[in-house]
Amino acid sequence: MDSEMQMSESESMQLITSMINKAKNFYGETGLFYLIWGWVILFCCLTSFVTVYFFKNQNGNLVWLLIYLVLIFQVIYSRRIKRFQRTRTYTRDINGFVWITFFICLMLTIFVCSAFKRYEVINPLLLVLYGMPTFLSGIIIKFKPLIIGGIFCWLMAFISPFINIEYQVLLCAAAVIAAWIIPGHLLRYKYKSEIAGKNLGNGF
Amino acid sequence: MDFKELDPILHSQLRLAVMSLLISVKEAEFTFLKEKTNATSGNLSVQISKLKEAGYIEITKQFNNNYPQTICKITPKGILAFENYVKALQSYMTL
Repeated sequence: MDSEMQMSESESMQLITSMINKAKNFYGETGLFYLIWGWVILFCCLTSFVTVYFFKNQNGNLVWLLIYLVLIFQVIYSRRIKRFQRTRTYTRDINGFVWITFFICLMLTIFVCSAFKRYEVINPLLLVLYGMPTFLSGIIIKFKPLIIGGIFCWLMAFISPFINIEYQVLLCAAAVIAAWIIPGHLLRYKYKSEIAGKNLGNGF
Repeated sequence: MDFKELDPILHSQLRLAVMSLLISVKEAEFTFLKEKTNATSGNLSVQISKLKEAGYIEITKQFNNNYPQTICKITPKGILAFENYVKALQSYMTL
């Protein structure tokens, strides 16, 4: 690009539009957190189902404490990458707030349901909540698999009242596969392809 | 019709491209600007310095794993200048 090249008014306008579009389409989404949370929640769902259903051992639900460990990891890792982030966009920040809102709602929902001893509604409500940030993130970063994943969570929430309570955790497992694991792998693939393209000098 | 003068700092291809990118993001690293504008490092450095001298952008230098990193961010003065430039362009184009 020539720095001192004279431009007409329409060329200037075209340049502005083209650069804004390039920046607008930059999300820098690696898919890492979708994969981490997806696999961890899937592991927790399946472990708690197997121990409770097959071994009639309620202690299997303690596996959910793993979430706190992952949360600590995420806070430390996020602070680190934020410090060294190459480019920060407004959409990325908004997306971050969507997930913070989700997490607060999730914790409050679990607390309120537990306080009222309404354990049977926890999984259906979690499915409703899983759908919200997934769907919104899909809209924000314009990524269809996340939008479909969000809708799938809501579909699972809709059918959960018709499913026996002991199988409801399997609906959560199906939801995280559709909402986080599959989109997470697709985002990771997309991100790695972009990096490879740039390394080959085709980043443009 | 009132014709506004085009800001000479912004009426340059590379500087305008940099400002258009920076107005769309919160802050951007030098390599991001280089990649999106397809400019050479030397030319981009010179133009970024000019924008900084005009007070249109802020530059922060830091280290990431021992590698120097240059972060650029548009200033309120830069946003105003960019808006005025676009308004001036529009006044010419609606002729």
